[in-house]
Amino acid sequence: MRVEYINPFIESVYDLFSTMLGAKAERGEIGVTHTAANPRDIMALIGLSGPVRGMVALAFPVNTALNIVNRLLGTESRIIDDTVSDAIAEIVNIVAGSAKARMNSGEESVIDLSLPTIVRGNSFSIDYPSKSTWLEVSFQSDLGSFTLRVTFQQLEPKGKR
Amino acid sequence: MIRALVVDDSIVMRKVLIGALNRAQITEVDQASDGLEAVQAVQQKSYDLILMDWNMPNMLGIDAVKAIRAGGYAMPIIMVTTEAEKSRVIEALKAGATNYVIKPFEPATIVSKIQDVLAKAGVVI
Repeated sequence: MRVEYINPFIESVYDLFSTMLGAKAERGEIGVTHTAANPRDIMALIGLSGPVRGMVALAFPVNTALNIVNRLLGTESRIIDDTVSDAIAEIVNIVAGSAKARMNSGEESVIDLSLPTIVRGNSFSIDYPSKSTWLEVSFQSDLGSFTLRVTFQQLEPKGKR
Repeated sequence: MIRALVVDDSIVMRKVLIGALNRAQITEVDQASDGLEAVQAVQQKSYDLILMDWNMPNMLGIDAVKAIRAGGYAMPIIMVTTEAEKSRVIEALKAGATNYVIKPFEPATIVSKIQDVLAKAGVVI
């Protein structure tokens, strides 16, 4: 998996923060991990299918998740509830959708997205796909820190071996 | 009194869009969480404007737009979606969408689009 594959997702995170959240996000170094265990408190995952197969994850500490929801809605909630899960799911949906458009060459939509999944807590691990490598990048933002992870593999066109 | 319908499976996104409608002085707003609910709502009540997501369970937004237009309803429909490819925009406009906003968006953008489509439809806020 090439490091530049994560760039459309990073650009989409920047876009999301500057437009809908009115905040600035700055990324750290890109790293590699072989596990999808949640590095934060709440994580949203979304699957990619089509000519590529993989997954995108955004993981947030509780404070960052709450700050994002409060910024979106103009509220001051300090409780993790279904609204927070819903917001984090929509955030990963927007980031993945925006990155998908950046990756899709030409006018046809060639990459499809699954519905997002939310995971709370970190006492578990996700191994998807088997033996996959995840690119990981941490962000610092006005709303707190968070982590972006991406794994995918380019599938060979039909007829090729 | 202008009445709008916000269609999105995300509760938070519905709230964000209702906030945008409120900023455009539209306070009479109903909600639907998928395309099917949207079609049913339009059959039961009169709306001056619809904000429609694309990817939702039960019925996609694009199919709801087609069903609403097939039913003879002519109110402005703004697609508000992560589907950013040009082919998707063309598909939505062909299906009968009036305008198109790609997520993520700046709050001022969606307010401006709302005011624009209502003005073109001759609806006075």
